[in-house]
Amino acid sequence: MKTIAQFLTGIIMLWSSMVLSAGTQYDLRVDGLSCPFCAYGIEKKLKKTKGVDAVEIDLEQGVVVVNTEEGVKLSEAQFKQLVKDAGFTLRSMTEKPLP
Amino acid sequence: MKRQALRIASSGLLLLLNSTVLQAHDPIFGLGPHTLFKGGTEVHIGLDRNEAGNNKETISTLELAYGLTGNWTARIELPYEDRDDVPNGVSDMSVATKYRFWRRDSLGVQESSTAFLKVKPDTASNNRGSGTTDSILGLAYGYESRKWYRWAAVRYRFNGETSDNLDRGDKLLIDLVGGIRFKQSAYLEPDWVWMLELNGEKTSRSELSGNKIGDSGGTEWFLSPGLMWTLRNFAIKTGVQLPVASDLNGNQDESDYRARLEFEWHL
Repeated sequence: MKTIAQFLTGIIMLWSSMVLSAGTQYDLRVDGLSCPFCAYGIEKKLKKTKGVDAVEIDLEQGVVVVNTEEGVKLSEAQFKQLVKDAGFTLRSMTEKPLP
Repeated sequence: MKRQALRIASSGLLLLLNSTVLQAHDPIFGLGPHTLFKGGTEVHIGLDRNEAGNNKETISTLELAYGLTGNWTARIELPYEDRDDVPNGVSDMSVATKYRFWRRDSLGVQESSTAFLKVKPDTASNNRGSGTTDSILGLAYGYESRKWYRWAAVRYRFNGETSDNLDRGDKLLIDLVGGIRFKQSAYLEPDWVWMLELNGEKTSRSELSGNKIGDSGGTEWFLSPGLMWTLRNFAIKTGVQLPVASDLNGNQDESDYRARLEFEWHL
């Protein structure tokens, strides 16, 4: 019985460590995105940020999806500054672990 | 020398006097409010052709811009001049800056206003350039949405005095522009924006040694269709200025047309 409990504990710890160290998907609601050419600044700024893995821009929805590498977390303040430097306004942000 | 001065005062150097800072989805001939993203670099190659009676000139320009902040851009321009009356070569270089002092963003819409300053010192040789240090101050407003664009701008050009006492008249420029994107492209798709500009220019009379030159100054209005094609960080822009109204003082050649082709990379 003790062996089974130790085994299950080990599995749970392994699972939780995998979840905790996985990358994160940030959905940024960005205002001011009217043209594709101008939006390049956002891609450029985000991709230069350490730990950013992928950037996708949806102009119609005004959403920028940013995926980070395992263990990399970015704060709303960081995103706000990056978006501002690109010439736009960060309206809101949500985040979830990458599958 | 006096003849050369009079020619400059009345007709030549049209493009050098009118060239402006184009950027991103700014109008082709007018001034727009765009600035470059912070740390961004822009490489810009332009080709201008102007004809007014017997005066014909072609200007190729290399421009480099840098985004100091998300709202502040600095730029340097180096034109190459091809006119009939002087040897071809590098003309007066310019430095320019734009500062976006107001911006309102909403979903798919950006409104903004920008202040603009450009200084063109007398750097060219062999009678190229204007022979003076000139400066332009401007204000631009822009509304840009996924479909519609509109811009308005005013610029004032202060012209210096040449070493042979020619004082070219200052110039007031007014731009009203509309644009439309018929198909709302996704981020990585080719994007087309069509524009129509109304450009007005009012030039004061020039003076030579304090005496006003009769065949100088006046007003011209242009209607200017233009097109911008972009793909991610690369843009091609082109347009033509067609005169629709002209009230020039004395005996001067009216503009026949002015054409512009621009290539722009954001890095």
